[in-house]
Amino acid sequence: MKKLIEFYGIDPERLSLKWVSSAEGPRFAKVITEFVDKIREIGPSPLRPKVLMEAVSVEKAS
Amino acid sequence: MIEQVKEHVKGLLASGKIAGFLGLRNDAGVVTPFLFKQEEQLDSSFSLGETESQGTMRYPMAKLALHLIQNCDDDSTYGVLVRGCDERALNELKRWNQLGNPDRIVQVGVACTLGLAEEHECRKPFPDEFVAGEKVDPQTNNSVQQVLAKDLDSRLAFWSAEFDRCIKCYGCRNICPVCFCNVCTLEEDALIKTGNIPPENPMFHLTRAVHMAGRCIDCNLCTEACPAEIPLRTLYKRVAEIIADEFSYVTGATGEGKSPLNILGSDPGHTAAND
Repeated sequence: MKKLIEFYGIDPERLSLKWVSSAEGPRFAKVITEFVDKIREIGPSPLRPKVLMEAVSVEKAS
Repeated sequence: MIEQVKEHVKGLLASGKIAGFLGLRNDAGVVTPFLFKQEEQLDSSFSLGETESQGTMRYPMAKLALHLIQNCDDDSTYGVLVRGCDERALNELKRWNQLGNPDRIVQVGVACTLGLAEEHECRKPFPDEFVAGEKVDPQTNNSVQQVLAKDLDSRLAFWSAEFDRCIKCYGCRNICPVCFCNVCTLEEDALIKTGNIPPENPMFHLTRAVHMAGRCIDCNLCTEACPAEIPLRTLYKRVAEIIADEFSYVTGATGEGKSPLNILGSDPGHTAAND
């Protein structure tokens, strides 16, 4: 999955796949908090419609 | 060449080995798939898909064979016209347990011309066994490398511009010889918003790409069928590469064994769940 989105042009660090059992509440909270922190650090997604459409129009013009 | 195929098929029909032959026919210049049941029908309209040259008209013969096998009332054996790509598709369908008893399909192979192989940059333009044609050299397709040469932002702009043209005709899915599911994720409103054109980007196309993992046999029919000329093959080709790297699985190869994504449990020995 990471390699696929990387090929598509999305930073693979934006994807995280983790197995968490329904019995592992604290681990779930930890995994999510860590990922949210990481995403905040990376910044807003390039897939936001406005940003994406600008990229598309530049690509079409070139 | 076409005569050799005809004679071979006539022999199969006459011997009673096959109940019918799934091939192509030329009906007043229009080439369509056809189930030949009598030898005379072969004489009047049998075709190798040549409207301009051999194979100008291609069809997903493996998918048609699958429908034939699934929908016929008896358990007859049928002959099927196969090129290299059709054979790879049949092999892959077997690996996904779609064909039931594979002995019900008798392959009648034809090797493709160099022109056809070049046009589709085919990795193996001939089946393992063929009754007509000559082996020509495999061709390579560099489209994946071209995308990999771009940086992340350019890739995203490139694919977004391509997918922006999508009219969501489902042509890529419908023509795909290895798309065999009865229910399709792409039509599930809960998963991908329906009713929008172009479809939700990138969910629509990446979902299809994920489903091509361990299946796509690189026949180029999707790209050929796409009215918006989206280079879908490049995306699925990359997916196939990823599967080859991760699981050492090459799609479409002859022989036993399951696709790594069709195995429940830890069989492939891959522990990438937390990658």
